Order: sequence, then C-alpha cells, then structure tokens
Amino acid sequence: MITLRDLADRLGLAIDGSSSQELRARCAPEAFLGAATALAAEAVLADLFATTGSGQPWLTAVFEAAGDPEWLLLRTQLTGDSFPSLTPATHVASWYEREIHEMHGVQPVGHPALARLRLHDWPVGQPPMRATLDRRLDIGPGVPSLVPIVHGQGVFQLPLGPVRSGPQESGEFLFNSGGEDLVAVSQLLGFKLRVVERLAEGRTVDQALMLAERLAGVSTFSNALAFVQAVERASAITVGERSRAARTLMNELERLHNHFGDISRLADATGLMVAGAQYASLKEDVLRRCAELTQHRYLRGILAVGGLQAPLPDAALESLRQRLPEWLRRSARLERLLEETAIFIDRVETTGVLTPEYAAPHNLVGPIGRSTGADRDCRRDHPYAWYDQVTFEVLVKSQGDALARLSIRLFEIRQSIRIIEQVLEAWPVSDVAAPSDSPATGEALGWTEGAGGETLHWVELTGDGRLARWRARPPAFVNWHPYAEACASGNNLTDYPVIEASFGLSHAEFDR
Amino acid sequence: MSRWIALGLRSGVRTTGYPSRPDPDAEVAPSAVIADLAALTAAQAVEAAGLCPTTAITLEGDRDQGGIKFDAGQCVMCGRCVRAFPGAFSFSQSPDVAVRSRERLQVGAHWAGGSAPAADAAVLATELEQRSQRLFRRSLHIRHVDAGSCNGCESELQLLGSPEYDLHRLGLFFTPTPRHADALLVTGVVTRQMEQPLRDTYDAMPDPKIVVAAGVCAIGGGVFEGGFMVNGPLDRILPVDVYVPGCPPTPLALLHGLLVAVGRGAERYRAGGGPDGA
Repeated sequence: MITLRDLADRLGLAIDGSSSQELRARCAPEAFLGAATALAAEAVLADLFATTGSGQPWLTAVFEAAGDPEWLLLRTQLTGDSFPSLTPATHVASWYEREIHEMHGVQPVGHPALARLRLHDWPVGQPPMRATLDRRLDIGPGVPSLVPIVHGQGVFQLPLGPVRSGPQESGEFLFNSGGEDLVAVSQLLGFKLRVVERLAEGRTVDQALMLAERLAGVSTFSNALAFVQAVERASAITVGERSRAARTLMNELERLHNHFGDISRLADATGLMVAGAQYASLKEDVLRRCAELTQHRYLRGILAVGGLQAPLPDAALESLRQRLPEWLRRSARLERLLEETAIFIDRVETTGVLTPEYAAPHNLVGPIGRSTGADRDCRRDHPYAWYDQVTFEVLVKSQGDALARLSIRLFEIRQSIRIIEQVLEAWPVSDVAAPSDSPATGEALGWTEGAGGETLHWVELTGDGRLARWRARPPAFVNWHPYAEACASGNNLTDYPVIEASFGLSHAEFDR
Repeated sequence: MSRWIALGLRSGVRTTGYPSRPDPDAEVAPSAVIADLAALTAAQAVEAAGLCPTTAITLEGDRDQGGIKFDAGQCVMCGRCVRAFPGAFSFSQSPDVAVRSRERLQVGAHWAGGSAPAADAAVLATELEQRSQRLFRRSLHIRHVDAGSCNGCESELQLLGSPEYDLHRLGLFFTPTPRHADALLVTGVVTRQMEQPLRDTYDAMPDPKIVVAAGVCAIGGGVFEGGFMVNGPLDRILPVDVYVPGCPPTPLALLHGLLVAVGRGAERYRAGGGPDGA
C-alpha cells in the first residue's frame, strides 16, 4: 500500500497546505500533465475540474488511493486558455475535459474526441460558466448528434426520448439494432442543464445550500451534506457529536429509500409487479419516517453549516427505531422470493454487463463500481460524520451485470439498517459545536457516499461567507460514462428497461 | 409466481382513503406554507424577507407606503420563516393545496394601511374548462414531461402508482403517448434545452387539454428563478390550468391537483389562509 503523501514525495510535489484528510499541492502548468498522469497511474483520479473567474483559469485534479484516508488536490494556474490533455494516458479524464472545454472554454489540447457533452444549441464561444451571458445571442453551430449510427442491411435506428414513457427524467437514446440485438447505443444528455454551480456564485452559503439540496431530488442529502462539509472544512468549523450522528442516520435513510426505489423499478421492468409494489411501499414508508424526522420527505431544509437547522424529535426517532425490524423482515422475505424466482433471475443475470476490465479505467463509484470489482466506499475509506463510530461491511462483486448491481443494493439495505440501529443505540446526548474563530474564507473538499456512490463537492469561499466557486461532482457524472457500452454488450432491445433500472442513474445529477 | 400473488394478497390493503377520508399517516409532510402577514410588524417583515432563500417573501415599495408579499408558488418550504415567526407563518395541515389561479398562491399586506390582500377571488371555470371537466371527470390520461426538475417530483409521481396511493382507483392513468393524453403534467423549471420537446408534446395532444404545473420550479422557478438556462416558469410558455405547489409536491397534493383539474376536487388553499383556507 502506498499513501498519497509518499507518491507526492516521490514525484517531488511540495505539499503546500493540508487540513485533516486533505493534502494540497501546487505545480507549474508545464508540470501538471506529468504529475497528474503519474498520480493517476498509481492512485485514483476522482475528479478533474477547472475554475474560472478573474485572472487565469485554475485546473484541479483530485486523487485518492486505496487504504489512504486522505485526498490529494493537485492544482495549477494556467497561463492561457489551454492545457495538454490527460486523456490519451488517462481514459477517465475524457469526460472531465470535455466538460471543462464546453463549460469553461478551456481547451484540452490533444483530446481525441472533443465533442460537446451537454450543450445542444448553445452559441459557440460562450462557455456558460464564464461568459457574460446574453440571452439574445444567436444559436451557433455544433448541435450534438447521436453517434454512432450503424449502417448495414437490416440495421435500423430506434430513438427513445427525450420525453419518456412514464414519469421519468428527460434524456435521449438511440438504439442501433439488427432486429433483436442491440448493436450500439448512443445517448444525448444535458436536456435538464440548469448550470447550478454558476447560479450559486456570489450567493451566501445558506442560499447556495438550497441549490445543493436541489441538485438532485433523491440524492438531496448526500449532495447537501458533501457541500456543507466542504464549507465547514473551508472555515474550520467543528460539528457537534449529535449532529454528526444525525447526519449519518439521515445519510443511511436516503440510501434506503434510493435502494428500495431502484429495486422497485427493476422489478417493474422485469414484469414482477408484486415485487415492484412491495418495494415501492417500503420506499414510501422510509420517506414518511424522513418526514416525521425533518418535516420533509427528501430531507431538505434540515442541514445547516455547523450542525442541523433543528434537532431531530425524540418521538420520530422512537418511531424509526420501531420500524427497523419490520423493514429488515420485509426486505429479507422479498430478497428470498426474488432469489427463488427463476424468471426474474434469468432477466437480470448476464444482462447489461460491465466487465471489470472495461470498467476499471472509468474509476466507477457506488454500487455500480462495486459490482465491477472497484473496492471503494467513502464511508469506510474516508470516514466522515459519524462513520468512524459504527461498524458495517462493504460488498464487492466482479460480475458487473444487473444481478450483481441488485445483490449489492440488497446487501447495502441490510447494512444501512444495521448502521441506523447502531446510531440510535449510541445516540449521543452532547452536541457542542465549536464555532470557527478563523474567518470563513478558503477552499476545501467535502465528500459523502450517497446511494449512487462517491459524491464530491469543492468550494471556495470569499471572506464574507459567500460562494466564490463551487464544483459538484455527483456520482452519476462518473457512472454515465460507460453506460452506453453496458447497454450494447450482447443485449437485446427488450433488455434495455432492465439495464436502465439496474443502473438507476440520475439525469439531474449529470445535467446539473 | 403463485408465491408472489400470495404475498400480495397477504399484505392486505395499504391504500390511503384520500380523498374520501383524511390520511394522517400520509400527511406527515407539510404541503404548503400559509402566511398571516398582518401579524408581522414592519421590522419583522424586513427580517422575514431577508430570511427567505427564494423570492417567496418579498418587500415592495418604500418604508411608508411599502408592503410585504408572500408567494406560495415560489416557496420551497425550507421552514426558516415558520421557525422564526410562528405567529405569522405556518405549515398547512391539509394536502389540498392545488389551485386554479396563480393569484390564489399570493397574498400581500401593507403595513401603512392595514392588510390589503392580493386578488384572491375564486376563478370561475370558463365554458371550455367546464366542458373538459365534464369530459375527463371519470377518466384522465396524463402525459408527464420533465422539463428540468431535480427528480424529486418524478420520484413522487412514480410513488402515485405504489399501493399507498394507487392513482388508478381514481380513474387517473399515465400514458406514454401525447396523442392519447388529456392532461400535460409538467415538472421542472423548463430549461432552455427542454423547451422545444415540451412544446412539441403539447402540440401533439388533442384538444381540449389540461396543463398542470407541479412543483415550485414549474410554477415560479423556485431557487433557479432567473437562471440563464431557465426559460420558465411554465405559464410563460403554455397556458396553465392547475398549480400544485411544493418542493416537491407531496403525493397527496399531486392527487388533489389532478382531481381539481377534472372538477372533482375543491380549491381550498389560499396563501393568506381564510374562510375556506386549508
């Protein structure tokens, strides 16, 4: 095992700042490509982003390493609007660089496929994160097209979306099919692009938190918590023990309702209506307990910088405690029935396969990553909130199919209930938050393990408690990258709903 | 398969009695905020407007002639005003918050000359609306379009099909094709890149048709109001018949909105409370 600090030493990178679990290194722009490539080869590139404002743009790469609780942020200030692309050596950089290019207008020189990622009819030369925006601008060229389109005898194209069949999120897909088999799938995302991070610039932290909570509905809490933790770390605020316990509890409740909801949709996609209804019913029960605790079904409006907006009511905690054995019993019975239903297992086994070899260079996160052999979980690897006080296990599989993704979610449901039980058992009485004595200025990374996986938020604060820059990297951004490949790998058209439900990827998180 | 059927039968009926009976278990999450603005002093009004993270509470005019306005169509129910001024702001105890007019979601007060509520007269249904209400009373097919939501609204809409809410028992159905749809239910801020697909869907629907704006993003933009990728709110783009406030609207509020759309539910909510206020 090699730590990030050792790696940085070996590369001659000077660590010029650190806070708990976070190392910061700066290098000259010429040295960035070499250093980042060397780090990405031995550690995991978890994020790559640009920040633009007054002055030259900054480039930041975030790394983590197995068994090391620290993060390493490698930063450089560019001297112009371009930098040598990392993508030829480090595949995972591809989408990050495409995003940097279209949103910030900073050119990754040497990127092999620099197409637009989310912008459809946006004027060329007006990067949304940077331009002084004028609504009356003419629409420029560069409307993205759905590629690849396969030509050949008997091959046809079947479009889907952006308006989908049921109450679903908007996104467009194009299936190339020879009749039954899916030859290639392409996707056009970004329909829901709201440019949340730019909207937040200049707002107070309190107002920006409302945006972080509305980045994505079903992952409200994990995104908002990562954001709040970044702000707290930037301004050196210590959070009281009971607030940390409550945050852990709610992080797990959100995982529960997500996993119940995802499995419900997977069961519906395979035509198993009773299972779909049973899991939807469990999700609804979790949401009602969330509402009892916080007055909001999706846990909005409860987080505050430094703690919580309001304490969790004792009666609601008691009602939650009484519910846990029932959730465990009901989900165990459903799990057993699912395993014994051969027609269901037939639909999910070897469907939508992502092989570990294909998945590895994408640094996938969450249940999707763990179903392809990526042994990463922020709760264990980089403990936050109260996760160092509870015990739980992390399941890793290598089949990479819909069944593996399902098994991991089923396993995590049991672990989440176990964590909630432990938190309630050891519910701390004391909640003394140590207020910051340093002014709220600075920059820091915040992270959580949401239901979808590792959620990273990076903030830069101005002296008066406002947001200068904000970077959100929700899990769906990473996990959409190999999605089209998983759809096309030997599957049939009729497998698509199953594959989509088994991934459970959020459009809102990706589009932002 | 028979074991699944047996499990389904053994589970019994979990469905809410709403709208025939109130459902205290489903109503744990508040559906809207009610404002009694006359209870605020001028100084408190300024403070309340400062607390509000959206433009739900705004000040108008100067200090002598000025007033305060509350707009439930912009309220994301963060609860800041409810905690700071419990005498003036409260959570609605009823899920019946859908309304047919945007004005009903707004209330204003002038501290210089007592309370002067915004227009809140009940909107009389037009002849066309009466006709569509008659047509759709027993069965309504809904086409949903996500025009840039956070997915919270979709999550609640999906749960309308769960055993707890079961929208089919009320003659309500989601339909995949706009050609078969009677109502267009829109969630989200209407982003620049979703405006055209939304218009195309509306145009593909046969007349008469109902448009429901669900959630504050669609009604007023919520926290995204004025964003440069935001072309909404919805009533700038399509004629809206029913507004369902909430962030996201609770499943019961969504059911109420659909029932109001077909004339089977009464409008009860009024931003300032009131005689028939919820």
